[in-house]
Amino acid sequence: MFGYVRPHRAQLAPEAWARYQGVYCGLCHCLKARYGQAARFVLQYDFAFLCMLLEPPGEPRPIRPRRCAVHPLDPRPCLEPSPAMELCADESVILARYKLRDGVADEGPAGRLGCRCAALLLGRAYRWARAARPEFDRRAAACLEELDRLEQAGSPQLDRCADAFARLLTAAAEPTGDEAVDRPRQHLLYHLGRWIYLIDAVDDLDEDRRRGRYNPVAARFGERVERDYLDATMGHSLALCQSAFQLLPQNAWADLLENILYAGLPSVQQLVLEGRWNPKKREKRA
Amino acid sequence: MNDPYRVLGVSPNASDEEVKRAYRELARKYHPDNYQDNPLADLAEEKMKEINEAYDAITQQRAGGQGYGGQSYGQAQSYGAQGYGGQSYGGQSQDPFFQKVRQCIQAGNLDAAERLLTQEAPAQNAEWHFLLGAVCYRRGWLDEARQHYQTAVQMDPGNLEYRQAYAMMSQGGYAYRPAGYNAANGCDDCCRTYLCVSCLTPWGGPCC
Repeated sequence: MFGYVRPHRAQLAPEAWARYQGVYCGLCHCLKARYGQAARFVLQYDFAFLCMLLEPPGEPRPIRPRRCAVHPLDPRPCLEPSPAMELCADESVILARYKLRDGVADEGPAGRLGCRCAALLLGRAYRWARAARPEFDRRAAACLEELDRLEQAGSPQLDRCADAFARLLTAAAEPTGDEAVDRPRQHLLYHLGRWIYLIDAVDDLDEDRRRGRYNPVAARFGERVERDYLDATMGHSLALCQSAFQLLPQNAWADLLENILYAGLPSVQQLVLEGRWNPKKREKRA
Repeated sequence: MNDPYRVLGVSPNASDEEVKRAYRELARKYHPDNYQDNPLADLAEEKMKEINEAYDAITQQRAGGQGYGGQSYGQAQSYGAQGYGGQSYGGQSQDPFFQKVRQCIQAGNLDAAERLLTQEAPAQNAEWHFLLGAVCYRRGWLDEARQHYQTAVQMDPGNLEYRQAYAMMSQGGYAYRPAGYNAANGCDDCCRTYLCVSCLTPWGGPCC
């Protein structure tokens, strides 16, 4: 995924922020333990959210300070691995591999080479992850293939494209068998997926136009992109994520999940729509 | 039944005022407005029933079982009856064909409803657009839902049902917001009660 799903730090108590870091660093260590040092570059904020969402209710696992190559001198709080975290690690490797494959097709010559090298580095990790989560790999491949077909055809149907990506995200949660958990979770992930797809499309709008590439938002709106309309439809998906979240049984991470859903995502949406997201990347392009 | 105090998330020593506050907050959370035409509405309704029962049990217990509970809990009952009882697709249709489509949507059978609409519909009138919009909405296809609702309103501007659905889309939906989180889009709390109020405004639209 793309790193849009993150907390709003200003609205978090320092203690809560430390717990969030614990999940993020814990996931990083989990990636290393399962797939080796090279797999750490696939780490994304989005998966820290997924990890917290999928944790069952009850006492959380302990958070302990640990060192790593990036922080050799100051140990960081790290959450001990859990089944949900291992699932997230596997899924992030699988999605990173598909993203690199898309990069080989989309990028310029230098980017293409970079993606090829990274894909090579990730090859063995991907094969392991695929063996561990064959169902997710199959569904991810099918959804991305469908998305690819729609994008090749230049589809102006925003919902249809977003739907393919949103269904991919619903596959990220393994069913628990309890309807009262599975249904709200699927619904939340569907609309989170829709939101991520749309926000990424808005974020890439200028660059795609410059390079003459397909962009779902440009295909839907043409020259005049209605930002207020997009704001409402993305906000609507967030509202549906929020109402689904309220029906889930609370786990130890409810405060952080709430912060992400009610403050983190809306502020990212505002920044992207106003073109203030990722200022460094924009300067470089200009 | 679960422990009513646990359901409301308060300690058994909580004052009447604290119990009431906790109940009100939960009732706000699971209010039917937040789950309007939402595929999860049945789960929210269940939660609402659970907290209503818990609140009722506590008030009765504290009144020594003398039936005081019924009064303060009247508000809760009205949530249940008006909100979740009358889902909007239950609205009556003159045309038996559209009535059949509405039944499919209400039963959650979206494929059947879509098939009926796209293959067997007698005419693509305002109601046709409204119902296709409802199918899209339930699937999470919010962009197409909004376009169909808009067409329905344009074709039949006097219809309250269509206008309400379209107003919800242009607002970006409604959701419960926990204390401490402001609406990012500057829409303040009065919009939340819009669905209750909108039936009363002369124009049948949002109150703000």
